[in-house]
Amino acid sequence: MTGSNQRASWRVWIAAAAAVAVAAVLPRPDVTAQAPGSIPDISGVWDSTTRSHPTNSEKIPWGKENFPELNERALAYQKVFDEAISPKYDCQPSTPPAIEFDPYMLEITQMKDRVVFTYEKDDQVRTAWLDGRKPTILDIGVQGFSTGRYEGNALIVETDHFVFDITGFDDYNGIPSSPQKKVTERYWREGQELRFTVTVEDPMFLRKPTSYTSRYLPGPKGYKLVKFDCDPEASRAMIKFLPPKYK
Amino acid sequence: MNLNRWTYAAAVALMGALVLTAMPVTAHHSSGPFYDSSKRVEIQGTVTKLVFKNPHAALYLDATDSTGTKAEWQIELGAPASLVRTGWTPDTLKAGVEIKASGQPSRAEGTHGMCCARITKPDGSPIVAGGRVQEEQQPPK
Repeated sequence: MTGSNQRASWRVWIAAAAAVAVAAVLPRPDVTAQAPGSIPDISGVWDSTTRSHPTNSEKIPWGKENFPELNERALAYQKVFDEAISPKYDCQPSTPPAIEFDPYMLEITQMKDRVVFTYEKDDQVRTAWLDGRKPTILDIGVQGFSTGRYEGNALIVETDHFVFDITGFDDYNGIPSSPQKKVTERYWREGQELRFTVTVEDPMFLRKPTSYTSRYLPGPKGYKLVKFDCDPEASRAMIKFLPPKYK
Repeated sequence: MNLNRWTYAAAVALMGALVLTAMPVTAHHSSGPFYDSSKRVEIQGTVTKLVFKNPHAALYLDATDSTGTKAEWQIELGAPASLVRTGWTPDTLKAGVEIKASGQPSRAEGTHGMCCARITKPDGSPIVAGGRVQEEQQPPK
């Protein structure tokens, strides 16, 4: 090695050491909020099909006992709602509080700083951040921005920063949701089952919060989520069977 | 394989055969606005194509209904993401296969759509064999 090469090599080592030193003093997200050992194990592939609960419909999971009390604005939207305009027919994905109940598989991955929910339905991925980070303007979206925390034997996920969604409450009743929608989920184990309660509040459309509780069963051993890859043409293929509401 | 396993396999295969011949529209939209559940239509004809794409597969066929009217029919099936778990593949029904189907007719005037269909071979036997991954369990109250 020549003298100039040796000097270059030393410069690389010094630069690398400096980078490590700088990284060590940079502020890092707080990922120590939860005491080790108290975190419930909810990870794995879970089955949200009819094995676990009835298929969603106009009356499920929002039935007689928990159907939301709609305000006048929501009733007006519901009255003019046209099924043909529902964004799902253009492959816009299902969102909370509906996606949790959709009858497909999902996978939950627990990491130190986040819990990731990967849904077979619509290939959606939701991340519940555990590190105390705050949302920015860039975090507004169809799935909103989620934070999580462990509370006793449960994981609590709180999601807001949603966009306006003409069918943002559910897929079946033509009830919209506003950017003021807030969804709180609670997940806890009961034996082999994963139970969950989903609570939704949206003062723009609902007079008061409402919620449903259901469960997931463990997914089949070794099951890998299937790619959904929604096809807009296939999604709209039956719209012609719908008698038109508006001309 | 012991007797219990044989019994389980037979039960699963039977359940699969039943499921595979009665296909509800699942979990993407309500069938009510599109199809009339108070009516039932029966058709028999030849498959022209099976579109096996999410959010719901569609089966197309040239068929004749019980009044003798010939038309191109479109049968809405479940999501392939769910169908594959019951043994369906994109090749389950190839063009040229003769089938019978009965189900709810589409609502819009002049259309020939069907959902929630029971699909069999012309002699009434199941189209495909297969099974579900797990057996049914009761949901929590």
